[in-house]
Amino acid sequence: MSNRRNRNTTTAPGTQPAAADEARRPPYLGFGLGLRPKHYRDILDSNPQVDWFEVISENYMIDGGQPLAFLDQIAERYPVVMHGVSLSIASTAAFDEDYLDRLNALAKRVNPKWISDHLCWTGVHGVNLHDLLPFPYTREALDHVVSRVHYVQERIGRQLCLENVSTYVQFGQSEMTEWEFISELTRRTGCWLLFDVNNVYVSAFNHGYDARAFLNGIPADRVIQFHLAGHSDMTNYVVDTHDHPVRDEVWDLYEAALERFGPVSTMIERDDDIPPLANMLDELAHARDLAQKMLGPKVLSRSPPPASAA
Amino acid sequence: MKLKDFQDSFQRAILDGDDTILSDIPDGPRETKTNLLGIYRDAYVLRLIDVIGNDHEMLRRYLGEAQFEDMARAYIASCPSNHPNARWFAHRLPEFLRATAPYSGRPVLAELAALERALNDAFDSADAPILRMADLAAIPAQAWGKLCFVRHPGAIRLDTHTNAGAIWVALKAEEEPPPWATADDATRLLVWRNGSTSMFRELTAEEAMMWDEAVKGLCFGDLCEMLAIYDDPPNAPARAAGYLKTWLDVGTLSELVLRR
Repeated sequence: MSNRRNRNTTTAPGTQPAAADEARRPPYLGFGLGLRPKHYRDILDSNPQVDWFEVISENYMIDGGQPLAFLDQIAERYPVVMHGVSLSIASTAAFDEDYLDRLNALAKRVNPKWISDHLCWTGVHGVNLHDLLPFPYTREALDHVVSRVHYVQERIGRQLCLENVSTYVQFGQSEMTEWEFISELTRRTGCWLLFDVNNVYVSAFNHGYDARAFLNGIPADRVIQFHLAGHSDMTNYVVDTHDHPVRDEVWDLYEAALERFGPVSTMIERDDDIPPLANMLDELAHARDLAQKMLGPKVLSRSPPPASAA
Repeated sequence: MKLKDFQDSFQRAILDGDDTILSDIPDGPRETKTNLLGIYRDAYVLRLIDVIGNDHEMLRRYLGEAQFEDMARAYIASCPSNHPNARWFAHRLPEFLRATAPYSGRPVLAELAALERALNDAFDSADAPILRMADLAAIPAQAWGKLCFVRHPGAIRLDTHTNAGAIWVALKAEEEPPPWATADDATRLLVWRNGSTSMFRELTAEEAMMWDEAVKGLCFGDLCEMLAIYDDPPNAPARAAGYLKTWLDVGTLSELVLRR
């Protein structure tokens, strides 16, 4: 893969979006957190200074009860974004239509600002491995995923937002880099991008490429959300565990992302060893401070940011 | 390799330990490809052990960490997830434990799992109105015989043939559970959702019989007659009214239907 590392990818591929597409760009939301059950009560009691919440779609694809009741109350107070883990957009298995129906029903209920999932697959032959699995970046895979994104966008009646995942292996049959694949995907489908800063760091470390090549390789005007999260350092590789605070090297990459993409709705994910809400708010304040330092006070406003330069 | 064949091969690498896919994976800059692929293999199992443990906290406590993990690994190998939501991954656990040695030799395990499944199902069951005593106030006495009841979706009945319920209670209280035992007669349990908490209680044979028939649609008059045949005919209507009052007090019914 070393040839790819040296390839000039500083010019973003892709095309300029049409004016109509720019008008559909979801609003800038500011600084958010992943909604976790541990924090439900604190959020409702204290109305914390969080601009928005991202909810794991599958956690609320249930019939009723307390989780949905809390979600309804929080969605009344805060903008909400839906983030799924089981769309399996790159799978060669047929879509689970019941899943898409439930996704639509949830969207109707919480009126999300956008709906995201991951550029990955989760299983075939009726099995779900409940993981965000990698695949080779081939032209065949690109055509396949493009057709699936078109289908989902028809089904959900809006543009999908797709996130780059952390990967631990690469494949000899790949014909392009991940960022080339993503750029072409968004160009051909109009999907938005969720730039997971930690995932870029993790994949770049594990595969030995420069994270900034990824960052500079995707079209800036398609990125509508950042993820920040902590990973585990296993010395020879790093794992996207979401059980630590965001590490310094990821904050550094976040600064580079702010520089390239401008104000982008940012949130922190924490899925294990979840600390009290106050700790998450401190970490979020750090993200806000960094963005303000880099971009000025405009990052504090929820109004749409000016179109960022590609 | 076509994407379809690739995914088939990668999935077999995770589920079956098949190494064919390694021929298409280069070593990483600092780690071997086998170890890198191992991250996916390990994560798959560890994530699902965690899912089972979250859904079956008392079973985990009862078995202890090492035995629980062995059991969970056996379940994961036997029953791969077939649902996009991990919430339902452990749903087949009671049946697995009932049918699979060595767990089948301790039927209390399957029944503990079944009780926890019912508690989980009650927790996020569909929302529905809760019928209260006051809703019955407007019904004239002569119409009571034709009253039928609709179960709240969170109300779930199950029978156990071990002391799984008592063991669950002790484990929940972090007390030493009693030794497990089987009984000839079933223990009849009713699980329901009380606000944000799932609960259960034991029913007498008579109350369980009345509940089971009531939620099938039998009217109150017929339920009273059934109880009269079961025991002590003169007091059957009072007993039926007592059971009904309990169900309304705890919120296990959602609707009233007046049959003409």
